[in-house]
This record gives sequence, C-alpha cells and structure tokens, in this order.
Amino acid sequence: MNRNKKTKKLVQLSMLSAIAYILMLFSFSILPSSPYLKVDFSEIPVLIAAFIFGPLGGILVELLKNILDYMFRGEFTGFPVGHLANFAAGILFVLPVTYIFNRNRSIKSLIFGLALGTLTMTVLMMVLNYLVFLPMYTYFLNYPTQNSKELIDLLVKAIMPFNLIKGILVSIVFVAIYSKLKKWIELQIEK
Amino acid sequence: MSSILIGRYVPTDSQIHRLDPRTKLIFVMLFVILTFLCESLLEYGILSVITAFIIYKSEVSPIIFAKSVKPFWIILVFVFLLHILTTKEGDLLLNLGFIVIYQQGLEQGFEILIRFLLLILVTTLLTLSTTPVEITDALETMFNPLKKIGFPVHEGALMLSIALRFIPTLADEADKVIKAQASRGLEIDQGSYLKRMFGMVSIIIPLFINSFKRAEELSNAMESRGYRGGIGRTRYRQLIWTNKDNMVIITTIIFMVIFYII
Repeated sequence: MNRNKKTKKLVQLSMLSAIAYILMLFSFSILPSSPYLKVDFSEIPVLIAAFIFGPLGGILVELLKNILDYMFRGEFTGFPVGHLANFAAGILFVLPVTYIFNRNRSIKSLIFGLALGTLTMTVLMMVLNYLVFLPMYTYFLNYPTQNSKELIDLLVKAIMPFNLIKGILVSIVFVAIYSKLKKWIELQIEK
Repeated sequence: MSSILIGRYVPTDSQIHRLDPRTKLIFVMLFVILTFLCESLLEYGILSVITAFIIYKSEVSPIIFAKSVKPFWIILVFVFLLHILTTKEGDLLLNLGFIVIYQQGLEQGFEILIRFLLLILVTTLLTLSTTPVEITDALETMFNPLKKIGFPVHEGALMLSIALRFIPTLADEADKVIKAQASRGLEIDQGSYLKRMFGMVSIIIPLFINSFKRAEELSNAMESRGYRGGIGRTRYRQLIWTNKDNMVIITTIIFMVIFYII
C-alpha cells in the first residue's frame, strides 16, 4: 500500500472511532433489573471498519472507542473492567460477522453472520464474565465473594439476555444500514 | 451533550495544570494502587487529606468536582449499604430486627465509600487539569519503547488525536443531521423503541458519508504538508519533565511504601 493510501486509511479509521464514541454516548438500559448493562450502537462503525479494512480495522476501532470513553468518562473502579468487557464483547461479535460475511459478501451471509456473531458474543461473554469480569468486579468493588450458584444466576438472568438483546438490536439496525450503504462500502474498498 | 464531548478540561494556570501530563498519568495509576494498599480508616483519612490538598492546589472550583461525583451516587450508596448490611463481624451497633448493623460493617462501608470517592475525584482531577491532547502525547511517549517490537505507537497516538479532534465536529454534525431529519418529520426522542431505532439509521448513514469526506480532505491536507509517518517527525508541543514532576512521583512512592508497611 502506498503512503497516500495508508494516511487515508489511518484518518478514516480515526473518524469511525470518533463516530463509535459518539454513538456510545447514546446508550440506554434494556433490563430494568440491571440498569448498569447498557446497549448502544457503537458496534456499527466497528462493523463498517471491519468490512472496509478487514478484521484488524474493526479491532482497532473497537479499541480506540473504549480508550476514548475511558479517557473522557473514566470508570469509577479506577480500573477499566467495564471497558475491557465492552471491548471483548465487541470483538466477539464483530469477528464472526466479518468472517462469515467475507465468504461471499451478500445480504444472506450478512444475516447469517450477524446471527452467529450474536450467539458467539452471548455464549462467550457468559464464560468470560464467569471467569474474568465478574470476579474482577467482586474484587474491585470489594463485594463479598459470590458462590458459583449466585454467579450463574446473574449470568442467566442478566448477562445472557442482555448480550442476546444487544446483538439482535445491533443486527437489525446494521442490516437496515448495510442495505443502504452497500454500494458506498464497496466503493470505499476499491478506492 | 457538548459538555461531555469537549471533555471536562478547566483551564486554570495552577501548579497541577503545569505538571507534565506523564506525571499526572503515572500519579493516577499509582494512586489506584495506593487505594488498594489502604487497610484502615486512618490510612483512608490520610489519603483523603492528600486528595483534598491536590484539589485545592488545582484551583478548580469544588462544585465541578461535586458534579463529577453526582452520576455515581446511586452506586456509591448501594455499595455502602451492601457492606453495612451484609457484614456480620465486630460489635453489634444497632438492631432493629430487620436492620442489623455491626461495627465491622460500618467501617468497611465507609472505607469502600471513601475509596470510590477518592478514585472518582482523582481521575476527574486528571481530566480537569489535562487536555485529552496532552494525555495522548503522554501516552505516545510512555509507550515509545514498544516501537522496538514493532508496535505502531505513533500511528495509534495519531489516530487517537484525530479522533479527539473530530469528536466535537462530528457530534455537531450529528446534531445537524438530527435537526434536518426532524424537519422532515423524523421523531427520534418520541415513539416506540422500534421507531427510534430506525430513526438512528437515517442519522448514522449521513454521519458515515460526511466523515469519510472529511477524512479524504484531512488526509490530502496531511499529504500536501509532507506527512510521511512518525519517522523523523518533530513536535509542536514539547513535553518537559521538571524537578516538580520528580517530586510528585517520589512523594507518591514514599506514601506507597509507608502504606505497604503499616
């Protein structure tokens, strides 16, 4: 890739990260029982980045988005546990979608990819929450250590439905956006 | 909304503002460790005094600090009550049948409350006294050694600064698009969730297309000014490490050692 193209790619990825951060500000809770789990549409620029620049571009935008949010809003535990979880969830969602979609780049493969991405994110985020993020929160918030039954209860009642609904909502909006931006995306790849 | 976007930087010419951004970053990291080394209310008390001193030194109005704590107060109260009501050690202080409070629980509740208050205040202090651009510069120089193993430190920092520069611009644009679509009859803050979601579509699409136009303009401008990556690039903003920075770091480390020993 020549220098000119590289600079442009760098700037475009920065712009997508800025959009992702702005979309992250429009977050809303979906489960009344756990208002701290918030849905936003910041995975959409990440998907666009992955579709135009490949999976690495997507990972980069996801990373920058979380760094920006951490810089602006911080996290009250001091350590960015929530941002790490958001990063992991984003990657687990975007990578399967990109992988499936890139096989023949049609709406059908996109929908299949989004379904797979939602599933991957939901299942693996349960595992990661059980092994990493929930213990981290217990440690940083100095909660009494929860036994595995309580943890699994939280996973099934909050984490699983949250990621599932989040995946479905983002997927619906993304399909609507992709069907209108299809030509534009292909054009950006050619450029 | 613009208040969150432009960051919370409050320009005063205090000693804290004039510290090297790297010092402030390292200080915040050390401070987080410091809060975890605290084991008694006395130590938390000392830490609170230090924090109050720094806040005073920053010459930023305490009202702004109070505002930064406000969004967290529900979680703070929740964590506080959780500790008070679930800890069953130490002397019994209060027994109302359904509410039983023990001494240990009260202490732990206060400790955790103070810890989080301090963490919020100190991180707020960082963003109040340091511009995001300064933080990015600091991160770039601090991660510089990683260049040797091929990590694109310069590119990462540049992307972060470009994103920071364009967040307000793109947010304004989003605002404009929302108004333009509203004048065409789109209601983004009314109606069912489904309706609002599809409202997002007609806002996100113009945002993408405009941002890519801007990206093209910016990259052309960078090219024509001779940008060729990080190699041999000089800086407009220089970071200068002074004796004061040494003092801050050394004092913090001394406190860490003391807190670790007792």
